[in-house]
Amino acid sequence: MQAWIDILMGPVFVLTFLIMVLGLGRHLVLQLDTLLRRKGDRLRYMPWKKMARETVSWMVPVRHLTTGNVLFSNSSFLFHIGAIVVPLFLADHIALWEKVTGWNLPVLGPVVADVLTVLTIFTLLVLLAYRSFFRKMRVISRPSDYSILLLVLAPFLTGFLAAHPSMNPLRWEAMFMLHLLSAELLFVLVPFTKMSHIVLIFFDRISEMHWQLKPGAGDRVANALYGKEAKV
Amino acid sequence: MAVQMPVTVPSGDGTEMPPMLDLREKLPYHVENPTPENVVERFLDAFAAVLEYTDYKPLLDSYCRTTNKCNRCSVTCPVYRVTGDPRDIPCYKTTLLLETYKRYFTFGGMARSRFTQNGFELTSELIREMADVFYRCTACRRCTLECPMGMDHGLITRLGRYILSLVGISSKALQVSVREQLEGETHNTSKIPKPALLSNIEFLQDEFEEMFDVKLEVPLDREDRDYVFFCAVSDYLMEPDTLMGNMAVLYAAGDWDRWTIGTHNYDGINYGLFYSDWHLERIIRQLVSEVTRLKGRNILVGECGHASRSAHDFVPVFGGREAYPVVSFLEYTLDCVRKGKITLNPDIIEETVTYHDPCNIARGGWIVDQPREILKSFVRNYREMTPGGRLNYCCGGGGGLVSIDEIHEFRMEIGGKVKADQMMRTGADIVIAPCANCKKQLKELVEYYEIPTKVMGLHDLILKAIEIPGAKPAEERKEEAALFEM
Repeated sequence: MQAWIDILMGPVFVLTFLIMVLGLGRHLVLQLDTLLRRKGDRLRYMPWKKMARETVSWMVPVRHLTTGNVLFSNSSFLFHIGAIVVPLFLADHIALWEKVTGWNLPVLGPVVADVLTVLTIFTLLVLLAYRSFFRKMRVISRPSDYSILLLVLAPFLTGFLAAHPSMNPLRWEAMFMLHLLSAELLFVLVPFTKMSHIVLIFFDRISEMHWQLKPGAGDRVANALYGKEAKV
Repeated sequence: MAVQMPVTVPSGDGTEMPPMLDLREKLPYHVENPTPENVVERFLDAFAAVLEYTDYKPLLDSYCRTTNKCNRCSVTCPVYRVTGDPRDIPCYKTTLLLETYKRYFTFGGMARSRFTQNGFELTSELIREMADVFYRCTACRRCTLECPMGMDHGLITRLGRYILSLVGISSKALQVSVREQLEGETHNTSKIPKPALLSNIEFLQDEFEEMFDVKLEVPLDREDRDYVFFCAVSDYLMEPDTLMGNMAVLYAAGDWDRWTIGTHNYDGINYGLFYSDWHLERIIRQLVSEVTRLKGRNILVGECGHASRSAHDFVPVFGGREAYPVVSFLEYTLDCVRKGKITLNPDIIEETVTYHDPCNIARGGWIVDQPREILKSFVRNYREMTPGGRLNYCCGGGGGLVSIDEIHEFRMEIGGKVKADQMMRTGADIVIAPCANCKKQLKELVEYYEIPTKVMGLHDLILKAIEIPGAKPAEERKEEAALFEM
């Protein structure tokens, strides 16, 4: 079992992490390409300041918590705090980072880490319940919208159980392996699912950019479909 | 012919939900020719051509991944708030187009369809549903402000309408107008020929003279002027007071020799903004060529939300670096007020006045404070309509809906219901709406719901209060108007 854990923590971790980083990097490059090359000259009319302000306001969406569905909005907000802070600053994870980079990074205290993990699990369940039990949510949801929540839930749940032997129904190694596997599965899925908003959130707020239509494109589309004599 | 709705709608969890609410069934959106022959193949061909020649692909790639389906948009949508039908949720509409894109134009979607039996398939029913849901949207883009992911559902709705229009599915009212504007003899949406325009302008001059005791000659086809004026052409028929208000400001500010109206093209309306990139660009080119013909320096757009936005946003996009600057008449008037070039008498307007923000100029934050500053400079009882500014509610006739007479009841009962409630709540005597579309829709709402308020343009109000040196004073004009009304 230990040999499997070593493989999962070694080459598999590196590979899956690389897939995530490269995949997100690809998104970044494609978006920058759209911005700088395809839209190019037309971007000088963009309200950059406004868009930057709005992006920041949604990244720290405090003023948006009292609008919309308050329970859903707040659960989503709290979930993101845990989902960002715990994987990055948990003591065991930091130990890994320090081994790789040699940097001295701040560490979450065990109580704070536990509270945040439980909060993340709880808020995820709220989101899942909301999506499952409200008709208007079900109508716009696809199977992937449910499964992604369960997939994100898995590493938090297994990690928490692995760290608390008294609650753990399995052998520690088994639970730890499940934790590694679920986390690595998530790494692989990040660039291909809506989790890619880790990077894309910085670009979506600038949809304003896509109103900068391509000159001449309308004519070319009409010509391609109906020839030069295309009529309104 | 009205759109036939699909019998059931997949709810995403394997079950199917009841088809629709009564209100929706009674008031479907009016789209002609909802399913032409081979519609699925033609739709996919059109989609492919759009992806090949335009810039929408990176946007769709990004949206496919970030669509969160959190439903915040439903809370903000005035149409959904009235119907309660999940198919009116902005995200639901967007998903229809994104699913089609994913399935037919991405590697993952195409690969998945090979391996699974029950994946997404585009059918003529789904296209019919798209025609319905995309045209039920007033394209007000209020939902965009509430989307945590910043998705612009208005942009996707518009793209959906564009692709539909390429396979012959569009609203007849819009299409007939655009055809006349681009390919007809009059080159304007209301089919007003030049002689009719001239007699309309003559009428405006006579009215102006009667009102102010000032004889004016509207400068037609004058070259080398600072401003070439375009309004919604329907204003020449329906909104003489708005136009006379514009004339009064130009005259009082001493700018009478700085503007002109071109008689080859005098229509600022651009329905391409609502449903077609192709038409949008051609109409802009037509407008720009008139300014070039007259050697004008700026495009001055009258009181019209979508005409202002289409010129302001798209003249630079299609015109390149040499594009003519676009000035909204509201900006121009505010400038005159600030510089003291015009005098507005604060004792004339005694009624309570409120302001309705036209979505096209307010949503992006372009024109929000300017009209308020003008109003507050001469109106004593100004009252805000809340929510207002960038968060305003659409009049219910946006996205071209107001031009479609067949859906009058839809606009009254669904599209404009929230706005009607808001107007009633505000309780102002006068609602100012500086937009040809909004004015028409709000006037119809006021009549339909019997709201005790009067809808008019900003320059209609200015016309009452403006003081022109040497002309009949505002107080005297007010007395005359009162006598006339008796």
